Amino acid sequence: MFLKRFLPLLIIIIFPLTTSSDENLSKSKVFLEKLGQEVIEKVSNIDITDSERQNNFKKLYLSSFDNYYISKFVLGRYWKTIDKQVQKKFVDSFNNYIVATYAPKFKGWEGTFKAVDSQIENNYYNVKMNVINKEGPKMKMMWKLYINKNNKFKILDVNLEGVSMLVTQRAEFLSVIKNHPQGVFGLIDAMNKRASAVGS
Amino acid sequence: MCIFKLKNPKILTFFVFLLLLAPKIVFSDDHNSSMNDPFEQTNRTIFNFNNTLDDNFFKPVAKAWRKVPEIPRKPISNLATTAKAPISLANAVLQLNRESIGNILAKFLINMTFGLGGMVDMAGKEEFGGIPTVEEDFGQTLAVWGVPEGPFVMLPIFGPSSVRDSIGLGVDTVTNPLTFAYRMSNIGLEARLTGPVVRGVNTREKYLDYVDELKAGSLDFYATMRSLYRQRRQKEISGNLEDDKMSLNNIPIDVYDEPDLASEIETIVKEELSSETAIKTPLNPKKRVYNGIMPSSLYPDFNESRVNLIN
Repeated sequence: MFLKRFLPLLIIIIFPLTTSSDENLSKSKVFLEKLGQEVIEKVSNIDITDSERQNNFKKLYLSSFDNYYISKFVLGRYWKTIDKQVQKKFVDSFNNYIVATYAPKFKGWEGTFKAVDSQIENNYYNVKMNVINKEGPKMKMMWKLYINKNNKFKILDVNLEGVSMLVTQRAEFLSVIKNHPQGVFGLIDAMNKRASAVGS
Repeated sequence: MCIFKLKNPKILTFFVFLLLLAPKIVFSDDHNSSMNDPFEQTNRTIFNFNNTLDDNFFKPVAKAWRKVPEIPRKPISNLATTAKAPISLANAVLQLNRESIGNILAKFLINMTFGLGGMVDMAGKEEFGGIPTVEEDFGQTLAVWGVPEGPFVMLPIFGPSSVRDSIGLGVDTVTNPLTFAYRMSNIGLEARLTGPVVRGVNTREKYLDYVDELKAGSLDFYATMRSLYRQRRQKEISGNLEDDKMSLNNIPIDVYDEPDLASEIETIVKEELSSETAIKTPLNPKKRVYNGIMPSSLYPDFNESRVNLIN
């Protein structure tokens, strides 16, 4: 009797929630496939100059990834040890370093990005994707994103065949900081040098 | 009575030493514990030695191997892969991993019969169900049994490893059924080394471009390799792209715990996006076909022809 009376009410309450969630799962896949397509058109293209490639990559990276979250994660416990100005300086240097490191890797690359599954866990959208080359190996990727306060998807991590960008970068940075006499400043300096070497 | 006699007992002594050392260092809590690399200085020295050896020997060999025509290169590679099946099967059984047992056994039988004694990977073809190549080793078996990986170890020649995986490597070498077969047939060490050497060269050839890219792009190549090894190993053991224990999913998204800074960075990014020149793309991009080789302008020998795009 109780169930019969409240079931329609429950359906009305739950249905919009599940629909919205399903819709976002689907949107997360579309978002990443579109980004993949943009990378192929605007970064991989060999008809553009290297500086255009860097600029295009930077635009896509800044607009799609959560720079604050990523910077904070890769710096680990050292994030809290530096003041706000240095944190901002780090974010800027890190963004330039990422662009200088990854943009050239895409030069001439061509393939298809196919999002095969999206699941939500603790507000993280985990999107599985196959990267299919025309004749090359098929690679498995997993993207981790969330919806920010402006209702936009922001990427937090990329995992390629079991290797996480965030985890790898953090391991490397923590080692640089540990072995450099100037710590975080040494890391910022090293990132700036690398970025300007690739950019020049 | 000893079933077999080791020609080089020093190798076994080394692995026994690691085994004895493991429980003590697995739980050590020194300043390196977060990286679990208490032998870092020694490891870095070995890493430098490996890199020198790689630059002067393995890399040139791998480059030369790449130039060998597909026949005989592919059949030899396939034979070396097939030769690893018995030890992989033994480990899959020890792990009670039904899927791996099925894949290894099916692939081995198909390739040995229809694949000319393992020279052709018939099992990998669509007609035979595209059976994947599965490799299991004793390091993975130990992991499945719950043995912790222990500290990171850089092995001479073999490269990145852990105490657990080094022990696994030793056990696999000593207990490989093929080793017994070779001994019973009085086949010398030179012939026995063929399989591992071919597999090593094959792997090095596969990663030629990636390693160069990684080396060129890393601020600390050693730390990057250490992290990559651990992550790849975790994936091989669990079969998952992401380690459940290490997953970010377990950490709440705390992007707003410093709302002022987060929004300041957001503003800087917005300004940067609007100030820089617009994204440029050619009006009529040419349609190209990619031939499978990953190109990179960071690769020392990079030139446009390597991109292998056919108009």
